[in-house]
Amino acid sequence: MTDWLVMVVVTTTSVGLALTLGIYGTVVLDRVIGRSIAGEPLRLTRALVGPFQHAALLLLQQRSDTERSDSATWAVAPALLGALAAAALAVVPLTPAVALEVSSGIVYFGATMAMVMVAVFLNGWSANSTFPLIGGYRFVAQALSFEMPLVLVLIAAALPAESLNVADIVRSQDTLWNVVRQPLGLPLYLIAALGVSFLGPLGLPDGIDLAGGTVAELSGTALLLWRAAQAAVLVAVSAMGAAVFLGGWLGPWLPGSVWMALKTLLLIALMVVAKHLFGRVRLERFVVVSWVVLIPVALVHVFLSGILALRRIGS
Amino acid sequence: MTDVLFWIMSGISVLSAWRVFRTDSMVRAAYWLMVSFAAVAVILVLLSAEFLGLVLLLMLAGEMTIMAVFMVMFMMNPAGLNPMTMVHQHRAAIAAGVLSFLGLGAVGVFGRFPAGVSFATRDVTARLGMELLNDSMLIFQTAGVTLLATMIGALAIASRRGRYGLADEDSIEPAVENSQNAGEGPPSTEKGSA
Repeated sequence: MTDWLVMVVVTTTSVGLALTLGIYGTVVLDRVIGRSIAGEPLRLTRALVGPFQHAALLLLQQRSDTERSDSATWAVAPALLGALAAAALAVVPLTPAVALEVSSGIVYFGATMAMVMVAVFLNGWSANSTFPLIGGYRFVAQALSFEMPLVLVLIAAALPAESLNVADIVRSQDTLWNVVRQPLGLPLYLIAALGVSFLGPLGLPDGIDLAGGTVAELSGTALLLWRAAQAAVLVAVSAMGAAVFLGGWLGPWLPGSVWMALKTLLLIALMVVAKHLFGRVRLERFVVVSWVVLIPVALVHVFLSGILALRRIGS
Repeated sequence: MTDVLFWIMSGISVLSAWRVFRTDSMVRAAYWLMVSFAAVAVILVLLSAEFLGLVLLLMLAGEMTIMAVFMVMFMMNPAGLNPMTMVHQHRAAIAAGVLSFLGLGAVGVFGRFPAGVSFATRDVTARLGMELLNDSMLIFQTAGVTLLATMIGALAIASRRGRYGLADEDSIEPAVENSQNAGEGPPSTEKGSA
């Protein structure tokens, strides 16, 4: 019983801390990278304090409502998205000490990422308004397209470890990180990760072409919560990417948690750069590319990883 | 602890299953059903069938959303936000409900369950696979890959670059095209034979 209690307290604390720091880091990185790509002068204090000012402004704003909205579902959607991000982060081993040994951790992570579709769809649907609804439908098509590559590359990474436990996958990269061992894995994962956190080129549900889409009718606290939950999803997928492809806590000199934080921030920065650098992709285009290119490539990737793993086990 | 969680999840499952039929929107009904099944998935995890429970959760999100979208499309109810009743054909529905409840209840009451089986080992997933499929594992895996290839093939046929040209540029099946042309003038023998 006490073991169980200690585990709950440690996991809750570490996930809460990682998410808070991660969301703040994401917003600061977004401002810094956005300004430097736009060629504007960098003002570090503005970038560091700005997120708090913006959050305070949103907290003071009035929350708007639409005609005959499903207010209960609308209120649940951001909470669901944030909870999914936290639940996903719980199985990512942040340090060897707080790693939750969940024997099907990768499947669990895939399940939480699949549920993101429900949260985004409900956020768009329950406003009872045209643009959010179209945004919600768009995300369903988008999610059904990136879900398969996301899960397939994670399964491929589990093959050399011979385990679905994420901590085991980190340990299996002791000699060689998966980013080198499985060169197709990380690029495919990053595309899917952009899709699941609906950012930049895959920011289709809330694009400007839909006048804001799923967030068109959001304001004040609801908008703040939604954006925070979106950043939390980005943190969770980046942390999982760092654990599965970049060797997680492994690394010389520095403590494991610092390595994990640095690698996660690197992946977040990569995706924020993609957000500011690339234009939005058309949904039809993405669906076709996903089913015609990404999924077959991911299947080949699983096949090759399986053969390599079998050869290594055999020798 | 497990017992408490079990009763909480059972309660959630039954209550949300009841809500499926009391709500007035197809999207809400679909997601109440998802909540009900998700609670069952947690019960599976509590029963040490961790992998089964998680796969159930993984499947649910896509399944329920696709079901909701299709129901909305078929009913031509804009977005499923217009109130409509979820219960039809009361007599048949009540009969089917009572029968299936009695049938499943009979399994629960009269079924013989192994007592005191512990699954505390880490390889539950592997043992479950052996128990369910045993020697047929390779056959089922092959069938799975074949089904996947079939699905991708079906998608390729239904995609924009379909069998009869680009989907968004007036692609018509030859037979349909012929019957459309038939009214406008004498059909050419060449087209008719094709």
